[in-house]
Amino acid sequence: MTPAVEFQSVSRHFGTVKAVDRVDLAIAEGAFFAMLGPSGSGKTTCLRLISGFEMPSAGTVRIFGEDMGAVPPNRRHVNTVFQDYALFPHMSVRDNVGYGLMVRGVDRRARRAKAEEMLALVKLDGFGDRKPAQLSGGQRQRVALARALVNEPRVLLLDEPLGALDLKLREAMQDELKSLQQRLGITFVFVTHDQGEALSMADRVAVFNEGRVAQVGTPAEIYERPATRFVADFVGSSNVLPPEITAAVGGPRAWASLRPEAIRIASEGRLRGIVTGARYLGAGTRIEVSAGALPRTPGYLPQDEGGIAVLVPAGRAVPAVGSEVALDWDEGALHLMEGA
Amino acid sequence: MTGTAAHPARGPGDRLTGLFWRRPKLLTALLIAPPLLWLGVVYVGSLVALLIQSFYSIDRFSGIVVKEFTLRTYAELLIPSNFDVIVRTVTMAAAVTLASVVVAFPVAFFAARHAKGRWKAVFYLGIMLPLWSSYLVKVYAWKLILAKEGIVTWAAEGIGAGNLLNAVLALPVIGGNSLSTSYIGTFLVFLYVWLPYMILPMQASLERVPTSMLEASADLGAGGWRTFRSVILPLALPGVIAGSIFTFSLTLGDYIIPQIIGSSRFFIGQTVYSLQGTAGNIPLAAAFAVVPIAIMLVYLTVARKMGAFDAL
Repeated sequence: MTPAVEFQSVSRHFGTVKAVDRVDLAIAEGAFFAMLGPSGSGKTTCLRLISGFEMPSAGTVRIFGEDMGAVPPNRRHVNTVFQDYALFPHMSVRDNVGYGLMVRGVDRRARRAKAEEMLALVKLDGFGDRKPAQLSGGQRQRVALARALVNEPRVLLLDEPLGALDLKLREAMQDELKSLQQRLGITFVFVTHDQGEALSMADRVAVFNEGRVAQVGTPAEIYERPATRFVADFVGSSNVLPPEITAAVGGPRAWASLRPEAIRIASEGRLRGIVTGARYLGAGTRIEVSAGALPRTPGYLPQDEGGIAVLVPAGRAVPAVGSEVALDWDEGALHLMEGA
Repeated sequence: MTGTAAHPARGPGDRLTGLFWRRPKLLTALLIAPPLLWLGVVYVGSLVALLIQSFYSIDRFSGIVVKEFTLRTYAELLIPSNFDVIVRTVTMAAAVTLASVVVAFPVAFFAARHAKGRWKAVFYLGIMLPLWSSYLVKVYAWKLILAKEGIVTWAAEGIGAGNLLNAVLALPVIGGNSLSTSYIGTFLVFLYVWLPYMILPMQASLERVPTSMLEASADLGAGGWRTFRSVILPLALPGVIAGSIFTFSLTLGDYIIPQIIGSSRFFIGQTVYSLQGTAGNIPLAAAFAVVPIAIMLVYLTVARKMGAFDAL
């Protein structure tokens, strides 16, 4: 099947800065695809390469197999929900939603009906006469969504769609976006720097770092089997173990990742250390275990290598700061990574 | 425990700061009182005096101002010779304003959306530089440029467009003996002199339109012309209106340019000048002076009704 969006060795350079560097990517039709990465990692530039607001310096961007090299944004069957929503302040909500239809020459009545239908879809019935300035942030977001969806795009692009919303609203919108995508079956591509958002909403995630794709996979793959140290570090709060510690706990001399929740406090364990800090998180307590002033003895955490984070689930006894603990985990929990 | 929760006041400055902190409105009042006095008393006061004068009339025989309320002076504005002056001035002001919008827009758009760093400085310098030199010098310079022996005629003949220039000058009403003695000349100089006043507010309003707004329009399928009409222009309209207030009212009131360049027919400004001077007809001069004010009020009301300030 032809992918909805395909990047073939795409680069985008700004002067000497390689914002996007030889990226290959295939986004399947109907996917909820997340581009995850820190700011400046090239994810937004990739989104803009799909919408057409950036031109590749090299490589090819295809949408449903068609080379987009000479197709300007207004002729791409793709719509965007902008980070700042970019609603037209001088138009009513209804005219904003109907803008794409007006451009295509749909008559006023049909436009109105379709706009109302879209507003109902995003649960904003009856808001058509208002101006964007009279709406809350969450409502504006829904208008931006309706305005993009009214054109029945083949791919919907969302640039940090929930970035400006507060936590509660963000979680509600996450569920809503997810169910909307499943109902409409449109390919969604969204950019975010929030790994929780990417993991909970997307069915595939591409992790960006310094203009390159570090890993593409399902949220579970990304989270449980990070391909590189960067991914392990950025996605979730995995412990990234340097080769020395991996070797000290019985593995090969290689970088490895170990999730805090996979580690148990036990009486006998693979590694011993001193609790040097604790942070209460509600659903558990995250403690920091390091070598402290312990002697350099096999079986203890090596000195000068930083600590290991352990998540003690709520209800379990939390060891006091300063006490010595033994850490244990299942055989498969230690995940080895590529050198980088 | 020793020490207090607050430092003692260190002098009159601290005490004054404290006073302003307790009564924030006091500071505001002190700050705006002088300009308010200036504007309120001197400016609005003289405007009211002007308005009152326009309701007086002049005794035809003695030439003395009769201080009785009458609309007779306003009726005099409707005499063909007076009314022609008004029509001529308003038409000129409207033409200058429209042309300024057309000429200023690309410049303002470039400056607001594309010029960065050094280019932006060049832009501001280019716009402001003419404003630093004397207005009279510029007008006389234009007189030379537009004169029959001037560079425009010379250049037109040089490129073989001399006949075209003559054809334009042969047009009724706007034509004339040479560019410097025709309405076209007056128009060109007005356009040149007031253009910065259109570019600057336009540029300011265009700069406030976020790029994402233009991208959203393109994203929704709009081509350049549609984006210009439906997004850029409505959002830039407050700036266009602000600029047009300048170009329109400055043209309405000017009496030097039409005196130096153009046909010898009077504009409102020249009429006011001669009425209050040699003719000594202060009431009619005042009535003439009220015309631009009334026109501007109507203009702003219409602009507001049309939603020109909705995007503010």
